[in-house]
Amino acid sequence: MKKLVEKKEAALIFGYNEYSLEIAKNISFKYKNIEVFSLEKNEDSSHFDLSDDWSELENKFDMDNSVAFCVLQDDATNIFLTLSLRATFKNLNIIAFCKNKEGANKLTLAGANKVIPLVQTTAAMISDMLRKPIVTKVMHGILYEKSDLKIAQIRVEKEASFIGKYPFEVNWGEDFGIIVLSIMQDDISSSFIYSSKAKHKAIKNGDILIVVGYDNDIIEFESLIGSRCEVNWGDWSR
Amino acid sequence: MSILSRAIINISYALDDSQKYNDAKKFFYNLLENDNYRLKKYFDGFMITLIFLSVYILIRDVKHDINEFWINFNNIIISIIFLIEYLLRFWVSSSISKVVIHQNEHNLLLNREFSLKKLFIVVAKDKLKYILSIKAIIDLFAIIPFFHQLRLLRVLILFRVFKLFRYAKSFQTFVSVLATKKFEFITLLMFASIIIFVSSVLVYVMEANNPSSPINTLFDALYWSIVTISTVGYGDVTAVTTEGRAVALVVITSGIAVLAFSTSLVVSAFSEKLDEMKEMKSIDNVSKFKNFYLICGYEGVAGEVAKMLKKNDFQILVMDEDEKRIKQAVKDGFEALNFDPGEVDSYKKLNIDLSKHVKAVLALRQSDVENVYTTLTVRSMHQDVYILSLLMEEMHRNKLSIAGANEIIYAKDLVGMIAKEFVGQPVAFEVIHALRSEFSGVDMEEILVTGRILKYISSINQLENEKFRVVLLGIWKKESDEFIFNPKSDTVIELGDYLVVIGNSLFIREFKRALQKKIFR
Repeated sequence: MKKLVEKKEAALIFGYNEYSLEIAKNISFKYKNIEVFSLEKNEDSSHFDLSDDWSELENKFDMDNSVAFCVLQDDATNIFLTLSLRATFKNLNIIAFCKNKEGANKLTLAGANKVIPLVQTTAAMISDMLRKPIVTKVMHGILYEKSDLKIAQIRVEKEASFIGKYPFEVNWGEDFGIIVLSIMQDDISSSFIYSSKAKHKAIKNGDILIVVGYDNDIIEFESLIGSRCEVNWGDWSR
Repeated sequence: MSILSRAIINISYALDDSQKYNDAKKFFYNLLENDNYRLKKYFDGFMITLIFLSVYILIRDVKHDINEFWINFNNIIISIIFLIEYLLRFWVSSSISKVVIHQNEHNLLLNREFSLKKLFIVVAKDKLKYILSIKAIIDLFAIIPFFHQLRLLRVLILFRVFKLFRYAKSFQTFVSVLATKKFEFITLLMFASIIIFVSSVLVYVMEANNPSSPINTLFDALYWSIVTISTVGYGDVTAVTTEGRAVALVVITSGIAVLAFSTSLVVSAFSEKLDEMKEMKSIDNVSKFKNFYLICGYEGVAGEVAKMLKKNDFQILVMDEDEKRIKQAVKDGFEALNFDPGEVDSYKKLNIDLSKHVKAVLALRQSDVENVYTTLTVRSMHQDVYILSLLMEEMHRNKLSIAGANEIIYAKDLVGMIAKEFVGQPVAFEVIHALRSEFSGVDMEEILVTGRILKYISSINQLENEKFRVVLLGIWKKESDEFIFNPKSDTVIELGDYLVVIGNSLFIREFKRALQKKIFR
């Protein structure tokens, strides 16, 4: 009788270079299984080729719940790799890096869930730092550093006082100690509460609120109205 | 040493030591000669107005009666102003006191007697050099109508028009470009002069005795010769004899050669100087910049940063030693100079105060060696300039830091952080990404609390941001250097604090405007 092997959730990093090592270092808190693949054979990484035979991976990892980082130095090869992965794994989360926007468009077409054009991203960061140093510092604190301030995604599941009201009518700060940045509803994929779309949509049960606040306040808010929910990247603009 | 010599030496030393005298001389020098001096353009504008006024009065006077006041204004007031200008230029053209001091000290060193005669020769040489310059001669002619009232000589007023050249920088550039081909122009002029001379005499000899010929005098012959060689050919004076016509054939052919040669000279002079002229124009444009970002290097990230900053209406100057990259920067619509950012000389050529005019120096070459070199160069000149540098290899971080970079951007770090955020807090990342992108219509802004805002508002509850549908995310306190998220309504706002707000870009703009003027609805 064939023995059933439990597949592992993993982070698969394709490309053996300084970028991939940096990624591996930063995601180790989330994934126990991190595997770095290289096109060239070497001792520190697993070898892979660009044929469409991914059976070894499929047998080893739960590809639907894994994430793949495509960090090959050459944009064309990276696009080829993304296409190959997407053709085999429909639900794999693929994050691909490339040099510039031109490569980014191709990677999106190839099926990457998220594409990071390095030149534009670095330039945007520099530009933000120069234009809005305080905003950049605050956002950097929320996103990358160990600050008490967090962003969370909470689904409205219980009867709350604000159901039926428009998001801008609620004094979130004073009543709950949090600030609602965005609201996701069934008929609108996502919109900021300040946009005109959200102006005409009252909050209802099942909506998802993206909130900023101190950890304690978010937990309290969560227990009051619902629960934190998992992310669906497809709902967000790329 | 004679009493006169002693007196001259003493006065010279006194003048050289006098702060007031030196300040005054510097002021007039800047006003008259320094193109980068703020007030010069007003002075030039005033002088140009006087010139046009003067010419207008001259033209009007031909067929109309002009009020006596305007005649006097033209002949006396304007002339006096021009005379004062001439004298001031004469004064600032060289320093007599410095010549005296130099000569005195030279004599003391060599134990020689101070010679008034020698001094006079040196000073006269200096001043004559100015007096005999084309510009000074034009200036002098422009003053002449002041000295006489003869109607014919009033035409000399037209010399005032030539003064315009003094105030028109482009003409000065034109002359300086042509000056590079001085030898070729002199050769051409000599060639043309010989042709004109020989052909004038020849045609005179051939035609003067022919009763049907219009060429009767040597002046007629000269006139015919110049009109023909310039290929203008009015046809009012023409050679009628066969010999005369033969001369005409030679002159016509030579005329084409002269015209072609002079055209090619002008064109080649300009094409050779084109890059230099563009550089001068760029330096000139940059000197008008009040507050700009100096981007050193134009490749990859640098190009994108430049475009993003330009989109937000910031002034940008690109500096790169690579000609191709500079051409690309110019093509992308930036002021760009083909200077090496790692050389002190490049910044000196710019003729600006880096600490005053530059918001930040961005060392964005894709080479750590180049960025460290640029950072060191800028830091060696100015301690206070903000320097942001790109880092390519982690192992060079220390070097960049020691060189004096205020902020270091390491792309690989960024990739790591992005990956971490994606797998850890993807929602946060996406929301922030959308907030940052310019297409969402929603923006996150920081508003500096100025004295003007504080006149109307002292605490958070007075902001009334809800009326503008703007959300106050928090306040950055300058005093304690901390960010207060969701501040309480009684939180005090102080000078230098920053309000961090989120909302529709349009609403934020209105809110900011209202804060300045307190137009709360």
